[in-house]
Amino acid sequence: MNAGPPDPDAGHPRLEESSMWNVVSYLISGPVMFGGIGWALDHWLGTEFLVPVGILAGMAVSLYLVWFRYGTQQ
Amino acid sequence: MSLNVLGSLAMADGGGYQTPTSAEFYQPLWFDGPLAITRPAVVLLLSVGLIAWWLIATTKRAAIVPSRGQWATESLYGFVRNSVARDIIGSKDFLRFVPLLFSMFVLILVNNLFGVIPPVQYPTMSRIGIPIALTLVVYVTYHYIGIKRVGLGAYFKNLVPSGLPGWIVPTIFILEVITFFITRPLTLALRLFGNMFAGHLLLLLFITGGEYMMINGGFGLKIAGAGSFVMAFVLTIFEILIEFLQAYIFTLLAATYIAGSLADEH
Repeated sequence: MNAGPPDPDAGHPRLEESSMWNVVSYLISGPVMFGGIGWALDHWLGTEFLVPVGILAGMAVSLYLVWFRYGTQQ
Repeated sequence: MSLNVLGSLAMADGGGYQTPTSAEFYQPLWFDGPLAITRPAVVLLLSVGLIAWWLIATTKRAAIVPSRGQWATESLYGFVRNSVARDIIGSKDFLRFVPLLFSMFVLILVNNLFGVIPPVQYPTMSRIGIPIALTLVVYVTYHYIGIKRVGLGAYFKNLVPSGLPGWIVPTIFILEVITFFITRPLTLALRLFGNMFAGHLLLLLFITGGEYMMINGGFGLKIAGAGSFVMAFVLTIFEILIEFLQAYIFTLLAATYIAGSLADEH
C-alpha cells in the first residue's frame, strides 16, 4: 500500500474510473452487432430464432470484453 | 401517469389540451426550410457572445487577489483543467487539450442552463444537430491523434487488447471497430441530446398542463394544476442538476477518448 496523498504527476489517476462510462458503448455494440448478424441469417435462411440468439451471444461477447478490459490486471 | 391523466382530460374536454410534442422544438424565427434561422441558432450565438464576454471581462485584469468574477472563472477552469483533463489524460499530454475541453464544457453548460433560464428557456442541445456537431469535433480529434501517433495500421491493431485467446480476436476486433467508430460517438451525442430533450419536454408538460388546468378546470382540477406547478418547480431544480451533469459527462468522455488514443493500448 502506498501511503500519503496520490502524486498528481503519476499518470492518469481518474482514467480507470472514468472509463466505466465507456462500458455502455460496449454493451450496446455487442447485441446490436450479433443481433444484426442473426437478423441477416434469419432473412437468408428463413428461420426466426436467430435474432434473440444473436442478441444473447452479443451480450455475452460484450460482457466478456468488458471483463477482459476493465476487470483483469494486465 | 400524468400523460394518461392529461390525455383523459383532453378527451373529456373534447381535445382542449394539446400535450407538447417534439414539434415544439422546431422554432424558426426567420425564413423557413433548411436555411431557417431558428431559436436554437440564436440561443447558441447568444451563448457564444455571453461566454466570450464573461471570460474576457473576468480575466482581462487578472489579479493575484482575484475579484469574484475572476475567482469563479478560475475555479471553473481549474476544475476542467485538473479534475478532467489532467487526471484523465495524464500530466504529460493534457495541456494541449485543455482549451478544447474547457470550451466544450463551458459551451455545453451555458447552453444547457439556458434551458431553465428565463427568458431564453430553450436547451440548445435538444436539437440533435448541435450535439452531433460537438461529437464530430471529439470524434475527429481522438481518431486523428491516435492515427497520427502510431499510424493507421497499428491504430486498428491496437484496438484489440493484447492477451486475448486467438480464436476470439476477429470477433472482438469487429466489436471494437463498431464501438470506436459507431457506438461511442452515437451514445455521446444521443446521451446529451436525449437528456436535454426529455427534460425540457417534461417541464413543458407540467407547466402547460398546470396552466391549462388552472385556467380551464373546476375546483378539483385547479388543485391538480397547483400540484403540477409544484412538480414543475421540483423538476426544474432536478433539471439544473442534469444540465451540469451532462456537460460534465460529455467533457469527461471526450477526455477519456483522447486519453485512450494517447495510451499505448486502448
